[in-house]
Amino acid sequence: MRVLIVEDNDRLAKLMAEGLQRRGFSCDIAGNLADADSAMDGAAYDAIILDLGLPDGDGVDWLGARRRTQHVAPALIVTARGALEDRVAGLDGGADDYVVKPIEIEELAARVRALLRRPGPRAQTVIEIGALSFDTAARAARYEGNEIDLSRREADLLELLMRRAGTVVRRGAIEDALYSFNEPVTPNAVEAAMSRLRRKLDEAGAGGKLNTIRGIGYMLRETA
Amino acid sequence: MTHRRSVSRRLARGLGLVGLIGSILLLAAVVFFYRLSFVDLNAKQATDRAIREMLEHVGLPVLVLMVPMAFVGLRVIRQAFMPLEEAAMEIEAARGHEREYRIDTSRMPAEALPFTDAVNDLLARLDDAATRQEAFAADVAHELRTPLAVLSLELDRLDHAEASRLKADVAAMRRLIDQLMLLAQIDAATATQLAPEAVPLTDVATDVVSLLAPGVIAAGKTIALEAGAESPIVHGRREAIAAALRNLVENAVRATPAGGAVQVFVGPGCAIRVKDQGPGLSSDRLHDLIRRHSRADHASKDGAGLGLAIVERIMAAHGGALTTDPGARELTLRFPENS
Repeated sequence: MRVLIVEDNDRLAKLMAEGLQRRGFSCDIAGNLADADSAMDGAAYDAIILDLGLPDGDGVDWLGARRRTQHVAPALIVTARGALEDRVAGLDGGADDYVVKPIEIEELAARVRALLRRPGPRAQTVIEIGALSFDTAARAARYEGNEIDLSRREADLLELLMRRAGTVVRRGAIEDALYSFNEPVTPNAVEAAMSRLRRKLDEAGAGGKLNTIRGIGYMLRETA
Repeated sequence: MTHRRSVSRRLARGLGLVGLIGSILLLAAVVFFYRLSFVDLNAKQATDRAIREMLEHVGLPVLVLMVPMAFVGLRVIRQAFMPLEEAAMEIEAARGHEREYRIDTSRMPAEALPFTDAVNDLLARLDDAATRQEAFAADVAHELRTPLAVLSLELDRLDHAEASRLKADVAAMRRLIDQLMLLAQIDAATATQLAPEAVPLTDVATDVVSLLAPGVIAAGKTIALEAGAESPIVHGRREAIAAALRNLVENAVRATPAGGAVQVFVGPGCAIRVKDQGPGLSSDRLHDLIRRHSRADHASKDGAGLGLAIVERIMAAHGGALTTDPGARELTLRFPENS
């Protein structure tokens, strides 16, 4: 998987690239937006890691401009800006996710993996979370190579949780994704589907990865 | 102790002196015109007459002049100083809203204007200095992020047992910087006085708990949200309220031992409560933490106290309060009802 790192601090860019390479990504570095443009014209990237304040412009503006004319890989904004309004502005400007400096390489890698799991033209058909894998085309789940037999709804649920592994998926989002408009959703339909999925994962040996956040929703952990 | 100078007292003294000098001069005039001599005063009758003459021609005029003058003079002085007294009361009433505060000079007498203008100018300079100080703190925090990111990534490359301990220190520094940035932003936001928006507390709590849950679970703890179907709505700044709740939840997570649970409750009323399994925080201790760190002279290593001081500041800006119930191990963000 190929990632473009757009960051004007050389040392930081190299360290990020090195850390991501150790985790199986191949990385190119662009020190400014002009370099980023030429890198993107020369190669197809699966994800972009973008610093906001670059010598020749603002990362979000550049991203927005590129997005208007062509498809651009999902972008993760790395910002040194603060906690309140800037974050929201970055997401509104077309970024898919953001992290605030100083970043930990584990967190950065997790966010990039999450971006790559999003549906899109270059999205992979097989999503993998550790030893758990899901083939989105064949609708088949495997744990350590052994197939897990899932109903259509359980498969949808697992795909949703795997695509957003490491983050909390809210109950409302699950209801929206699993049940169509005119389908009546009973209050505990999601709970019932979730407990069936949990039991099947437990039986396959992938137990304990599924967390319930009471009052909010569910989360599939990325790591054991 | 030196006696403080008082305008009223000086006026009284001045009038007294004028009265005394006037009386002596009048006395001399009376003595001269009536050709009174000390020889005549020997007779009892003459003395009585002389005293009566004195009272009629000296005592009475002096009294008629001096009493109304003293009365009017004191009254004028009291009225002249009234705007100053009112300004003092207004300044006292503005406690806690010192930023951008200026003395109202519209009712000030012209003589007091140089003083009040000078004070207002001083206030403006203080505001300016505080703003620059805050901007500086924000800049420093901002500039620290990149080297800190480099440091944390360098540590990640080290395959050494000590590296994880150092990484924890970097994480503590990162939290501190986050808090400083937050503080600077709250100050900036307060200065611009944005219009408040309607904020459903349940939405804020859901956002914050969702955001923090992965970290809480990774730390081997659990977190849950308890909210009714109807969300209480407060008027304020959503991002600031979220930041306050985030600080509280992060504190609660740190105070809770591994395997423990943090619970966030929305309501009853316009309040969010955060319950942890730590030792509980007494109101004295909370007060200490907030006061000590609002002066920022004793920041704790992980920024916990600074965090609570920030929560308190956000709540105060919303007309609410941060309260603690050590028995229930709860900290509460309490907003005014129908705010």
